[in-house]
Amino acid sequence: MDALLGEPWTLSPSVALRPEPFGALAYHFGNRKLTFLKRPELVTVVRALAAAPDVRTALETAGVPASQHAAYAAALRGLAATDMIRPRTTVQEAPR
Amino acid sequence: ELAAEDLIEEVSID
Repeated sequence: MDALLGEPWTLSPSVALRPEPFGALAYHFGNRKLTFLKRPELVTVVRALAAAPDVRTALETAGVPASQHAAYAAALRGLAATDMIRPRTTVQEAPR
Repeated sequence: ELAAEDLIEEVSID
């Protein structure tokens, strides 16, 4: 099982999500990466990350069946590779 | 079976 499922993650502050009929467009204003989130459930997961204690909880909140958790974890690792999402640390970036 | 490719697709905007 992917260790990521037990970790706290969050959407990167530089990322904007634009809802689309198929899911959403994620655009990173820092590295100018653009990624399609091709399932509405994945969009729900990504939005739920910040408030969830770990990724598994966010998946359950979004109603993703356990049989699909591995695929979602792989997709989230893909998003992490381009800094669309990042590990949540205990010290959050201070508001300015 | 669901694959990561079914969930995300990175787009080149170069």
